[in-house]
Formats: sequence, C-alpha cells, structure tokens
Amino acid sequence: MFSALIYSFLFLSAHVFSIHAQEFFQEQLTLRPHRDGTVLGHFAFTTLLKSATPREPETIRIEDTSQHYTLFPLALGQVLREYAITELHLSLNAGKWSYDRWGYPEEDGVGTGAELWAWMAEGPGASVDERWRGLRSNLAGLFCASLGSMDEQRTTSPSLTFLPEGDLPGPSTPYQLRHGTLPSENVCTENLTPFLKLLPCKSLSGIASLLNPHRLFDADWHGMGIHVRYVENAGVEVRLTFQGVFDPVRYSTDGKRDWSLHSIFDRTIQKTCPVARHSKIRLISTTDAVDVSPAPNTFNAAFSVYDVNTVSKPLDISMQWSNESHFEYPLSLDSPPPTHISVRRTLKGTEQSRGQLAIVIENHQDKQIKASYLETMPWLLQFHLNSIQVKWNSAPRDDLMSIVSYIPPVPHSRPTLLQSVLTLPPNGTMDLTIDVTKPFLRYTEHPPDAQRGWDLPPAVFRPLIIANDSNLRRLPRIYTPILLVDLATPDFSMPYNVIIMSCTLIALIFGSVFNLLTRKFVLTKIPNEPPQ
Amino acid sequence: MAEADQQQPPIDLSKLFFQSTTTRRRIIASYWIVVILAIPIWWRITSIDRLSLPESKVSALDTRDLRLPLRVGLQSNVPGISSNSIETQLAHRLKRDAESHCVFFESAPVDLNRQSTPGTYDVVIEPGAPNLLLDGRRLSVRSQGETEEQVLDALTNLVLPSSDGMEALRIVKYSPRFRIAFSLLNEDATSGRSILSWDVEAAIKRYLAPALEKLSILHNFTIESQVQYHAPLAFRPHEIQIGEQTAHSLTQEDLTVFVNSAEWTLSSSVSNDPVIHFVLFVPSADDSPLYILDHNGTPSSADAFILPQWGGIVVSNNARPHLKVADLEHTFVTFHNQLLSLLGVPSLPANVDYDYSLPFTDWQLDALVRLRTMQNVENSKETLRSIVALVHQIENMPVGQDVKGDVQGVLDALDLVFAESSSSLMFALRHSSDALTRASRAFFNPGMLALLYFPAEHKYAVYTPLFASVAAPLVATLAREVAAWRKTRREQA
Repeated sequence: MFSALIYSFLFLSAHVFSIHAQEFFQEQLTLRPHRDGTVLGHFAFTTLLKSATPREPETIRIEDTSQHYTLFPLALGQVLREYAITELHLSLNAGKWSYDRWGYPEEDGVGTGAELWAWMAEGPGASVDERWRGLRSNLAGLFCASLGSMDEQRTTSPSLTFLPEGDLPGPSTPYQLRHGTLPSENVCTENLTPFLKLLPCKSLSGIASLLNPHRLFDADWHGMGIHVRYVENAGVEVRLTFQGVFDPVRYSTDGKRDWSLHSIFDRTIQKTCPVARHSKIRLISTTDAVDVSPAPNTFNAAFSVYDVNTVSKPLDISMQWSNESHFEYPLSLDSPPPTHISVRRTLKGTEQSRGQLAIVIENHQDKQIKASYLETMPWLLQFHLNSIQVKWNSAPRDDLMSIVSYIPPVPHSRPTLLQSVLTLPPNGTMDLTIDVTKPFLRYTEHPPDAQRGWDLPPAVFRPLIIANDSNLRRLPRIYTPILLVDLATPDFSMPYNVIIMSCTLIALIFGSVFNLLTRKFVLTKIPNEPPQ
Repeated sequence: MAEADQQQPPIDLSKLFFQSTTTRRRIIASYWIVVILAIPIWWRITSIDRLSLPESKVSALDTRDLRLPLRVGLQSNVPGISSNSIETQLAHRLKRDAESHCVFFESAPVDLNRQSTPGTYDVVIEPGAPNLLLDGRRLSVRSQGETEEQVLDALTNLVLPSSDGMEALRIVKYSPRFRIAFSLLNEDATSGRSILSWDVEAAIKRYLAPALEKLSILHNFTIESQVQYHAPLAFRPHEIQIGEQTAHSLTQEDLTVFVNSAEWTLSSSVSNDPVIHFVLFVPSADDSPLYILDHNGTPSSADAFILPQWGGIVVSNNARPHLKVADLEHTFVTFHNQLLSLLGVPSLPANVDYDYSLPFTDWQLDALVRLRTMQNVENSKETLRSIVALVHQIENMPVGQDVKGDVQGVLDALDLVFAESSSSLMFALRHSSDALTRASRAFFNPGMLALLYFPAEHKYAVYTPLFASVAAPLVATLAREVAAWRKTRREQA
C-alpha cells in the first residue's frame, strides 16, 4: 500500500515539475552526532526562483511588476522587491555555540541573538539607508522580532568579513553592505511560527514536519536563519534554515546516547511534501561502531543519505551504540580540536568607567593562518586603539596585527567598526588586549532592566588558510560568545531628587539675596548695661 | 565710652542710598516685573503646540453640497413619445431624490458625432422592435408603443442605479490604490486531491485585464498571487448525503468563519494599501466534494461566495495537478464578477443590451465615478469634522504644522471639487480622492497621539519646591511694603 502511495507521489512530482519549471523547492536535514552525546540537526529548505534577478534600485520609484509565486514565499518576495535587496541574511539564535565541542556549524551565522546583513545596490530611487530601515522594520513585522531597534547605533558595514555569498549582478553597479546585530534578542516560538508559514509545506508534511517547537526550543542550542542570494545563471535563491543541538542523553531514561527522530523531535515523517523536488536526510558517519536503522538509500564513508520521497513511511531513523551500556561523557576535548582556531573573549576590570577587552586566539594548525578579526561595538564601549597589545606565546609581537579600517564611535549615534587582519604563526596562542572606556548614558537611554547590563555583540573571526593548490581558502566565520557590560547605572528616582535639591538651593540663594536687597536696617539703642 | 557715643552723631540710616524707601520699592518692583514678564515666556515654552485649525471653513462645508451635472440630449422619432416631456419628468425625478445623490439634470442638444465625455449622454428613441441598446454613452431605444414611463424608468436606473443597504456594506472603501491578491489554497496537498500550480498570470490577463483597465481611472491596482499547499479550515465541514454519494457542506454560518487567518498567510505587510483577496480553495480528499448550502439547507449550485469588503472565494471540486488558462475560465469569470461587485460597479437594468465583449458599460462607469466622488466628498467632510471635534475635546492634543497643512489641503481640494464638478467629472473624482487621502492622513497623524508625557499632578509636584519657596519671600515683602506705604499715607493725611 505504501509503495503505491510512493509511486503516485513520484508520478505527481515528476508531473508538476515538467510543466512548472520556474520554481524549485528542496529540503534537506543533516544529522551529525557529536562526541559529547549531542546531535546536531540542521534543516535547510531551499527555494529557487529560476532566472529571476533582484530588483534594480533605479526602478524603486516606479510601479513594480506583478508578483506571481507558487513555491517562493510571497511575504518575503514582497519585502525583497520593495527594498531592492540583492542578498539578505537573517539569523536568530539562542544559546552559545561551543566550537570546541561541536566543531564548525552547518550554517556560519551562530552569533547569539539576532544578526541581519544585506547587500544592496546603490541607486537613485531611495538611499541604501532608507531601504535598510524599511527592510528592518518589515522583517521585524514578518518574524515578530525586535529588529526595528537595530538602528543606526548598531549598523555597520564590515565588508571584509561579510562578503556576498552569491553573485552581485551588474559589473559596474556599486553595492553596499549593511550589518546589524542585536545580541539581547530572545528567540522563541513566536519567531518560528512565521518562519514555518514561509515553507511550502509548512510543518505538516515532509522533513519540515519534524519541526516541533516543544523540542526545538528545548535544545542546548538553536537558531533559525533566512538566507537570500542571487546566483548568476540560476536565479534568486531563498534558503530557510533551522539548526539545533539536541541532547538525547538528557531525554533517555537509561543514560544511553541512542537516539531516533522520534526521541529527538517527538515526531516521525509520515508524509512527503508533494512539491519538494528533493527531500533528503543526510546522516554524518561517526567513528564509533553504531547500528543505523532503517538502511540508508546510499552511503559512503562520510555520510549516509535517505531519500524521504522514496523511503517507506513513517520514517524514523535511529542510531544505536549497541555495545555501550551507559554513556560516559568525554573528559577531555577532542584532539586535534575540531576547528582551526579557537577564540575566547573576556571583558576585564571591575570599574564602571574603564576596563580591558582581552582576546585569546589559539592556532591549532601546523601552518600559519591569517584571520580577519571584526568588532562592531556599540558606542557603549569605546576602544583606545593606542593601547592595543599583541602577544604571541607571551612575547610582544605587535607586527602580527594589521588594522584594515577603524571607524571611531560617535556617542549616542554610531558604533565602532574595527576590521583587522591577524597573522597567527603555527601552534601557539595570541593574547590581544585593548583598553576600553565605558561612557555615561543619558537617563532615557537606559533600558527598562537597567541593572542587568548591556549585551555586546560577538566578535567575528574569519580564518584564511592556504589550501593545497596554494590558493587562499576562506573558512566559516567564527563568532565569539557575547559579553555583558555593566555601565554606570543611576538611581532612577534621581531626577526628582535632583529637582528637589536644585530647587532648594535656588530658593535659598534667591531668598538670601532678595532679603539682603530689600531688608530695612533700623538702629536700635542698646541700653548701657551696668558693668559688673 | 558713654561720652564718646554722645559726641558722635548717630548715622541716619534712611539717608543711605540702599536704605531709602524708593530704592527698596524699586528693587521689589523690578523683581515683580521680571516675574510678570517671565510668565508668558514660561507659558509659551511649556504649553503644547496647538495650531488653530480653519474651523469656520470646516463648518461652512456643511452648507456646500456637491452638484454633478447630467447632460442628456433626448431625441424622439416616435410619435407619441415626447422628448420634452421625458426631460421635464427626468429633471423632476432627479430633483425629488436630491438628498440621496448629487446629480442634477441639464438638457443638452443631441449630437451623435461628439466625443464621448463622462456625464454627457444621448438618448435616441426610434421605432422598431422593442430594444434598449447601450453604445458608449448613447442609448438607442427602439420602441413599439412603449410608454414614456418605461423609457423614463430605464433612463433613471441607468444614471442613478438603485442600491440597497446590503450593497453599500459589500463595497470596499474607496482607496486610490488596491492590492489584488490571488491565492490558490489547497486544504491539504498530501491528501491526493490538490491543484499544485495554475497559469494565473495568463488567466488574469485574459479574464480580468479589461475590467482592471477600465477601472484604472478610479484605482491603481497591484496584483500578486501565491499558492499554498496546506491551508486547513478552522472547522470541519458537515457530512451530507446526496443520493448514494457522501459529500461535505458549508452552511451559511460556516461561510462567515471560512477564512482561517491564523493558518493562511494571506495578508501582506509590505504596504498599507487595502487588499482585495481572491481565493480558489481546493478541499482535501477527506472534505470533497464540498458544497455550499443555501438558506434552506439544500446544496446549491453556487460554488462561490463574497465576503463583504474582503474579497471572493471559489471552492473547486475539480482537482487536477495543474490548471491551464482554459481550466480557469469559470473561476476567473466568477472572480471578475466578484471584483465588480466589491468595487461597486452597479448592475444594469434587466432589459438593457450592450456589447458583451466589454467588461461593463460607460454608463455604469460614470455612475460609479459619481458615487465614489460623492462618497469621498462626504467622507472627507466627516473626517474634517471629527478632527475638529477631537481637537476640541482633548485639550492636551498637539496640533502640528503638518496636520494644519493637511486640513488646509483637504479644504483646497474640496474647493477644487466644487469648482470642477460642473465641467469635468474626472477632475472632480481626482480631487475628491486627494481630499480623502489628506483627510485620513491628518486624522491618523502620529504627532497628534503624543499626549503629555507628564500628567498635571506630576507637573505641580515638580514645580512646587521651586515656586513655593521663591514666591513666599516675594509675596511677603510685597505685602509688608504695601502695608508700610498705606501706613505712611495715613500718617501724612
């Protein structure tokens, strides 16, 4: 019975795409077990709008062509057309991605909170900043996130680290990057619901049916992303992603790390999405001896692949460590470490006016690595560039850092942008320190929970290694965890106290001056007292 | 010691310049002058910016009514039907209902070669087989003993289409721009019964473009379309039996809650233009066939319904993977009729013929333009009155330059409407739409929402510590000085 159903779906899919070849949809789930017993689940839903081009900003003032979509999300398509966006990346993450335990993520953007960056062509219709503002508020409405507060105080243009992932049409057209982060943004189910509505099959069929909010938001780390790019000779591609690091040991009753789709997501795949051209589950192989069921459609040394469109349903992939009675957490980290470099960033100093930002970068490789280092710091923390100290294995080596660009902050309006390139000799540790000052904020600039402090955006590293063919190869971006800075916080009953005190002082001064000026002095005779 | 005191004469304190009564009074007076001079400045810098609105002009609008001329040239070639008599009766009829519309009759000579202009019509009555034929803005009546009354009724219905209350509720509010969103919604595409794609662009071009083109003098349209593969209903349709077959049905009550706005992502957030939705709904295998029940509870042949001011829905029981343009004919003809109905295009009297290749006639278009112009003028007036009333009612409401400018703009636009109404209907419409846009912009101006941040009590709490302690010595000194002055006057007298 199942096979009959599958054949009918196969026939249906083939039929659909022979007549409607303008939009393609494919979905993929990557599952990657980690040594610490966790499993990374990475969902990617890709829709390609074939032979479409981003809107040219010249046409932004004139009436746009009608938009007709079948698979491409209309709500997102409208935003892209309205503001003539060429490339867009939005990620909303919660938790701290541990590079040392989990290695590189499947999607680069794992900085805590919200991160939005977009490449836009310059044009006469509307300025890039106007369109950036409109984009922010529209996406904020679309995803129920407070992206609107990602204003000029948080917007920078770090074009060294955030290169376009697709192509930029028009060889002579100038393009601009806008990037903003909001580290204090919380990600929860109100953001996932609009995200699911952008999927052709929502969360009702296909791989997307595993997206169960109860389990997703219970993960050790989770994050969603919307990536739009233009690929020359292909079209406009939108990729909706969800990543989560799930902990089957926590869910298991017998302390084992065996997992299945059902144990992780509390759901199995019942139906295929009828419009998905490819629907695949990729299981990354481990070095351990494991039993995987059901048998994959194809497999090689690196991973096994299940084709959801053909495999029998309900599909519940499981992985069992059958010769392991109890899971023991590894006591040491992987060696060699899973990433090329590892980074720690801390804010030192107890004072409320000064501090020091310390960054420790370890190169685990046997060869020299260059890495771009980016800080997009709100003006809440101001760097003293002259105080930068670079040490390599505790010896001063200022020559290892070269600053590419530095835009100083403007209090109450513009953030700092510090882009630099670090040279990391083989196998060692770099210590980088910068002195910082913490400015005073205006009374109205404090957030409602002022005593909590301010979240500072992550620093972003992008290692460059020399590959075998002696070309530079860019590795994924590495985000440091966010920081919390404690700024001088006033007593919020202060304004009234100040008013009362200054009023009293004014009244006192006024009273005495006025009294002196208008007093009538009278002579009185003091009667002579008899001397005693 | 005592001798020394007596030898030196005592200082006369009143001789010292700073002890003289005049100087002291001058000092006190100058303090008070400063205080009094400061009061208006303080008042000005702490009060809310409330510009005065041209209220007299707004109230004067009540007495000005829109008058749109209707120029009709009548020619009767049939003995027994007198064009003069029809003219007088038509003028009389229009005058009788002058309250509900804004049309007045003007007689015009018949000229069959003139350029067709909105608001000018020719009526030619000729002998022949009974027939009413509309051709552009011309009405040819072929009569065989029809009475004047019948011609008159047809004419009145053409220029002033009768509308019931239901129709007024169904028509969407006027807006210079509309978004038309076509959605193909599959209740559940995995159930096996689904339409996965449609040739919507070609269908719009074939079936709707002529109507949209003709309506473009009233509105600008932006068109968009999408397909959804999982669009569940919020309720389960009832099961019914039709003969041997099990079917499902929607009652009239179900229709009102048909749109599941929580699950269907229909609305677009990118602009503020009102949206007219057209939905082709494909029920899942579990729910098909799906019929609409009429008021008696029997399945009706209709497969479509209108949600007033929202849009139209067609339920399709013919699922196939792809709909070609020809397959969409029925759906899009229904959408076409729903669109005309939602935008308020009046229906023609039953016995009137026209060129059916046209979406609708110029007579209907003119009647719609007149109706919209009248509504816009009325709505703008109403909005202006509300703004004035609101500003009166809430004393802390700021009125900025932009609100004042917009109100003035509405008045100017309305002046233009009144001035142009007799010469050009299209100008009147354009200016009335401009007036309406400005009026609602003024009404929804965000600046007017910024009420006082501090309530009055708060203000006094801040002011008292300063003002009370400063005012006390000032008032006390003044009182003392006045008392002293009166005492000396009494002593002198």
